[in-house]
Amino acid sequence: MKGYIAKKIAYALITLYIIATLNFVIFQIIPVDPTTMMVDPRWTLELKEALKRQWGLDQPLGVRYVRYITNMFTLSFGYSFMSKKPVIVEISDRLGNTLILLGSGLVATVILGIPLGILAASKRGSKLDVLAIGGGLFTWGVPAFFIQLLFLLLFCNYLGWFPFGGMRSPGKPPEDTLTLIITTVHHLILPVTTLVLAEFGSWALYSRNIMLDTLTQDFIVTARAKGLKERSVLFGHALRATLPPILTMVALSIPPLFTGAIITEYVFTWPGIGYWFLTSMLKLDYPAVQGLLFIYAILTVGANFISDILYGFLDPRIRVGVRR
Amino acid sequence: MKFLLGKRKRIIYARKIKEFWEDFRRNRVGLVGIAFVIIFVLIAAFARWIAPYDPIYDKGLAAEMAMPEWFTAFPQYMDLPQTMYFSVNWSVGEGSILEYVNFEWNWTDEELKIRYAGATEADIYLYENFSYPYIPPPRFDCDFKWGAEKVNETAYSIEIILVSPGGRNYSLWDSYYGYPLLKPKQTDEIPLLTTERKSAVQLNSGVSSLIRRLGFDPNNPINLTKLIFSEKGEYRLFMHVRFMPNSENATCEIFLKDTEFKILGLVHGILGADYFGADIFSQLIYGSQISLMIGLLSAILTTVIGIIVGVAAGYIGGAVDELLMRTVDVFLCLPFLQILIVLVFFFGRNIFYVVLLLAVFGWQGLARVIRSQVLSLREMPFVEAAKAAGGSRSYIMLRHIVPNIFPVAFAAMVLTVPTAIITEAALSFIGMGDPRLPSWGRMLNLAFRWGGFTRLAWWWIIPPGLAITLLSMSFVFVGHALDEVLNPRLRRRR
Repeated sequence: MKGYIAKKIAYALITLYIIATLNFVIFQIIPVDPTTMMVDPRWTLELKEALKRQWGLDQPLGVRYVRYITNMFTLSFGYSFMSKKPVIVEISDRLGNTLILLGSGLVATVILGIPLGILAASKRGSKLDVLAIGGGLFTWGVPAFFIQLLFLLLFCNYLGWFPFGGMRSPGKPPEDTLTLIITTVHHLILPVTTLVLAEFGSWALYSRNIMLDTLTQDFIVTARAKGLKERSVLFGHALRATLPPILTMVALSIPPLFTGAIITEYVFTWPGIGYWFLTSMLKLDYPAVQGLLFIYAILTVGANFISDILYGFLDPRIRVGVRR
Repeated sequence: MKFLLGKRKRIIYARKIKEFWEDFRRNRVGLVGIAFVIIFVLIAAFARWIAPYDPIYDKGLAAEMAMPEWFTAFPQYMDLPQTMYFSVNWSVGEGSILEYVNFEWNWTDEELKIRYAGATEADIYLYENFSYPYIPPPRFDCDFKWGAEKVNETAYSIEIILVSPGGRNYSLWDSYYGYPLLKPKQTDEIPLLTTERKSAVQLNSGVSSLIRRLGFDPNNPINLTKLIFSEKGEYRLFMHVRFMPNSENATCEIFLKDTEFKILGLVHGILGADYFGADIFSQLIYGSQISLMIGLLSAILTTVIGIIVGVAAGYIGGAVDELLMRTVDVFLCLPFLQILIVLVFFFGRNIFYVVLLLAVFGWQGLARVIRSQVLSLREMPFVEAAKAAGGSRSYIMLRHIVPNIFPVAFAAMVLTVPTAIITEAALSFIGMGDPRLPSWGRMLNLAFRWGGFTRLAWWWIIPPGLAITLLSMSFVFVGHALDEVLNPRLRRRR
């Protein structure tokens, strides 16, 4: 197990390194000069050169590359052009908001989707099964942002039940914690509901398929042949076998959630990192965009790493066997 | 195909396709999907003939966020105005003094020339009637070009008046030369100068000068049109031209051209209008072209890359396999939408970049699936036989492996289409789409940013979203059905 983990850590670090390099390459080849954002057009050429020197942009490519990689891995992303604060501070200020949104969304989705899928598999052909399959296809075909826009139109603009967006009502933040929590939850209900609606189907379909695969296996046939009750076959034997892939899937689903959060936060003007990513890009805030890209990469690689470890931990075949 | 394959092969393929169709036909979901896809393809192909307007360049067809025309079937919307747009054909009205006046119509240029040559005053009244049976419109426009030539020894005035059915007069515009004509004629004290002028006049009910002219305070936002068009019935647009000569041989020619009167309607077309007064129905029709193109092109590209990588990794194996699969791992760890956004944003919001990048970031899953298929295929007896018969590696890959993974790849390809469609729509929705193309995502973006939500303009929001959903859903249906029919793993389970 130790060797397995060490190998996975090595893979994760190498992947991060490659991504950081790609990041560097992307910002080398984009045809926009980073100084244009900072420099006043009235500045003289010497002043521009001085600025470039100060930022180290006059250094040769190799030096910049090494510096870039070390900066990325030490999480020193520099200062945001927009706010003049360190990028990492800005990110950590907003990451919490995104995590609140995604965390509650993921928990609700998983709680709804996985049991639905498992029950659907156990009652194949029933209405529940149709719901799971239909929900899965629905998730695949319906853009989440359309559901979100519909909800926005119906519940915010038409009925006025929920605030239009943001995380708190405008004005001074409330003093006591309870009001704070209540307003946050009030703002949270709509995005989370839409996330659940958009996502639960794929969870249901996925866990249904896993469960179906499990139910056709020999040990289940054996358990049934032994005369075990259907309930204990399902929850005692089959469920245990379905847990590893499902848990892995939960870990693996986290990075796409961050990606999806960009759109969700755009729709609901949620002050998270996704919204900040879009606004910083529109304002050509290079350090912010680079820092965020690397943070996203860390999240993705981290989630993959966790899922690998989880899988190895739950399913001994993986540890011993060659590869997926 | 006919020339490439021998007769025997042709028969085999024909039988295979027939078998496949027999299987597929039983899948009702798949058939529904196919039907919808065909409908969308037809719409996209005949968009130019179905859509009545250009989706982007035909702006100002109606008032901002005008409702669909069929809303007028409901009593509360019955009196909403349609867009009225007409070239004014002036008729000569009563009370005109035409003794010294000569009219000349140039129909091709829609130009009316009024030649005056005489010694006494002449008043000419031109008019055009139009009926307006609706509630007041948000605005009206009156554009025309006019000019005066060969002005000699005469003063003239020209005025445009709108007369309501109740007989109220609204003087929209006037111009005069000489001296204030509305006052009694003055004596020779004021010298007359000859002058020529030409100008294009654009009257707009929203302009403060017009509001002030009609005696309202422009700072006080009263809606002019509400007052003017408060009555339903025959309105009359009047033009009063007056010549006041100073000598016996006074001459003047006044021309009027391209007179157009426009009332922007509050209802428009099948699906109303967007903020810029463009036709939503046309945008919806043309949007199908873009979504289909994006979806199919990037799916084909994705599949090609996926097949190449998967077959190479699976069949060649060894270091190649290791390298390719590590690349896949790295790619799967990339925050792909974020990178896509950055690249598209910095390299220009071009549809082909989007297609290309969707393919570059989309082939990994397929490559994995195909690799595992190839791994089991290469152990099959027929591959062994081909090897034993001396088939080269590329020959076996092309002739034996690729045709056998094709069904799975095809099903996977169809299932990539909805992902591509939705990703493009999402990109366009957050404003990273091609701004020159009327894609569905762009429509949603505009609705989101330009007040479609606060105005509850659901006819601007729901149709594009529904179209994205329907199109990608039908591809999901087809793909799901294909997967069930073609994927050997699923077949066995059934």
